[in-house]
Amino acid sequence: MIRSRRVAITGIGSVNAAEQGGSSAVAAALARPPHAIAAVKIMAVEGSGSGLAAQIDDARLMALLDAADVRRLSRICRMALAACRLASAEAGLEGGSRVGLAMGSEYGDFRSGAEFFNGFLRRGPSGLSPMIFPNTVMNSMAAVVAIAVGAKAPSITLNQATVAGDLAVARGAALIADGRADAVLAGGVDEIFLDVYRGLAALGALSPMRGQGPEGCRPYARDHNGPVVGEGATFVVLESLGRARARGAAIIAEVRGTAWASLPVAPHAAPVRRRDASGTVRRALEQAELEPAALGRCYGSGNGDPSLDDWETALLAADGIRDPISLAPRFGQHGGLGALRVAAGALAARDGAGPALVHGIARGGCRAALVIGEAA
Amino acid sequence: MTRVVVSGLGVVSPYGVGAKTFWAGLARGDCAIRPLTVIDTEGFRSRIAAEVPAEVLPTLGVSRRRSRADRIALAAAREALAEADLTPADRANTGLFVGAVGGGMLEGEEWYCEEARTGRPLPRLRALRSILPVSHAESLAWRLRLGGPRETVVMACASGAASIALGADMIRSGGTPLVLAGGVDAITRICFMGFNALKLLDPEPCRPFDRGRRGMSIGEAAAFLVLEDAEHCRARGARVLGELLGAGMTTDAHHVTAPHPEGEGMIRAMAEALAAGDRDPADIGYVNAHGTGTPQNDRVEALALARVFGEGRVLVSSTKSLVGHTMAAAGSVEAAATLLTLQHGLVPPTANLREPDPDVPFDCVPGCARPVELRTALSNSFGFGGQNVSLVFGR
Repeated sequence: MIRSRRVAITGIGSVNAAEQGGSSAVAAALARPPHAIAAVKIMAVEGSGSGLAAQIDDARLMALLDAADVRRLSRICRMALAACRLASAEAGLEGGSRVGLAMGSEYGDFRSGAEFFNGFLRRGPSGLSPMIFPNTVMNSMAAVVAIAVGAKAPSITLNQATVAGDLAVARGAALIADGRADAVLAGGVDEIFLDVYRGLAALGALSPMRGQGPEGCRPYARDHNGPVVGEGATFVVLESLGRARARGAAIIAEVRGTAWASLPVAPHAAPVRRRDASGTVRRALEQAELEPAALGRCYGSGNGDPSLDDWETALLAADGIRDPISLAPRFGQHGGLGALRVAAGALAARDGAGPALVHGIARGGCRAALVIGEAA
Repeated sequence: MTRVVVSGLGVVSPYGVGAKTFWAGLARGDCAIRPLTVIDTEGFRSRIAAEVPAEVLPTLGVSRRRSRADRIALAAAREALAEADLTPADRANTGLFVGAVGGGMLEGEEWYCEEARTGRPLPRLRALRSILPVSHAESLAWRLRLGGPRETVVMACASGAASIALGADMIRSGGTPLVLAGGVDAITRICFMGFNALKLLDPEPCRPFDRGRRGMSIGEAAAFLVLEDAEHCRARGARVLGELLGAGMTTDAHHVTAPHPEGEGMIRAMAEALAAGDRDPADIGYVNAHGTGTPQNDRVEALALARVFGEGRVLVSSTKSLVGHTMAAAGSVEAAATLLTLQHGLVPPTANLREPDPDVPFDCVPGCARPVELRTALSNSFGFGGQNVSLVFGR
């Protein structure tokens, strides 16, 4: 792939179950022992077979927003807006026609969809709210943020399981490299919502999968038995390195390589023997002009799903990379987690830990790899 | 700069299966908007839509176990790949960019209604597995063995066009020489009810650019294009159906549902697409308009077109008047229509246009298709969230 423009990370903003704030808050959350996964408090999940989640304290979220935002925005839009404002503030980013968005989400605003549909089920056509309907489209979060920050370049929403956030960061970097924007707010967002939680539990997609073993998030462990969901929004400000330097921005790190691919496997499958013929990680490393041995660390998408963890471990081993670090036990699985992996990689590179590989693989075969390093 | 050509095209539309069927319907000016049968419409202001005919679905060669949207997506994608005549090795490198909004929501709604009615979770969970927009890309990648970069793009009614623009970017950046790009949406209750609640649906078949227009008519479709590096296409001796000369993507950042009143983002998208294609406004002979038939969209789009091209300087028509507003598929359906228009030198009409709006200073091709020699044309797609995408195609 031709990388015509270098891409810097100049800001981080995150609202997650462990912490909220900019790069220092994310660094603090990464330095502490994981503590955010706990019994679900905000809704009744009895009978679903699962009862843990990494939830946001709504009072802390509200404190980041003004009253008008709280009144008019859905909960997931509040998360996305708060995180984007934090990232923008840290970077000193101002809106304009060359500022874009790349937002990943696993489920979007399902809460609004259910609320809208329930209005019909209760009262027929007269129960439908024209105010809620626009939120049911998955790009509503990006629309809200674009208006708030004045982002007028492309605003892309990507729907993807497991790797939504890191894929969005890779897409955002491509928008800059391809010349469609000079700066992009890129990351992911999801919220915990009862219907989705119960649906995932009914599908056997949450710990304890197949009802075996104690519930909990134990990525890559011998006794891993499923993911625990989380919620929140994490965004990074991506910027052309030249523009960042010209305006004297504090550069946290550089996105030195990106690649993503499709491993054609059955939907929802994670076949451990399936290899990546397209060389996703190799391509990302080639862009960064690095060998696997030069990597300081690898943040993987392992979330405790046994098949997926094992597949990822095997894929990385084939690329010569071992011992990936999972952030899922700290924040729970959600669309912002991939962006937290990017943020963690950026902070590690900034602090001298060497370049980081941010890696993700989803059931169904969407694979993403980013190399984050110090901006030389 | 790398040139991007189109080497395959596949469409499942309210006219039936295949790009040829689609073009025949457009060329005849057949309005496919009829009483809606897929869902119950009792009590709604508008009760019509452009459906993929019921008798067509069993002929698609796709399992009935899949969602309605997946079925039409797979059929359209297969047609596009067959026309491009790709080898398995080609497919292993082919990227996949799918514009989607509704996913398998039609089947998910049935599950949800049933659960709400009975008050307990039901064991029939297959519908939940395909409810999200990403489910289409997963199905397509698996069934068609596509191994290049994969993205599911959710940009409301601009999703299909954005997928094409992003797919072309991927080729130009050297990420892959081949991309299958397009969009799909099946009719869903939530979409039908939502636009009814917003009072944006016309009770009669929509009348874009008509003085008396009262809203849009929803539809369903899937359309996919095989985009290819022109050199790669030439080297393997494949047929070129047209060229994607340029694409513009902008955001209004103005309002979640309403366009910028001066069409500022639309103008930027069109200007960006023209500049990317190294074309002047005078080079464009035809615009396939977003043309929804809502009073506000058509007025603002006409304003933006006038700013970019000059009043009356270009032919404009809305194929949504024929096949409805196919939501996430619309951008790719209209990209297909634009390519076929260039191929055949025939501009599809705007159906139901009886009294042209004086605020729309363009010939909107009322009534029947018009033969015109064309070299380049532009397709507009706009969506909720202030999303604007313009594509410039050449023969």
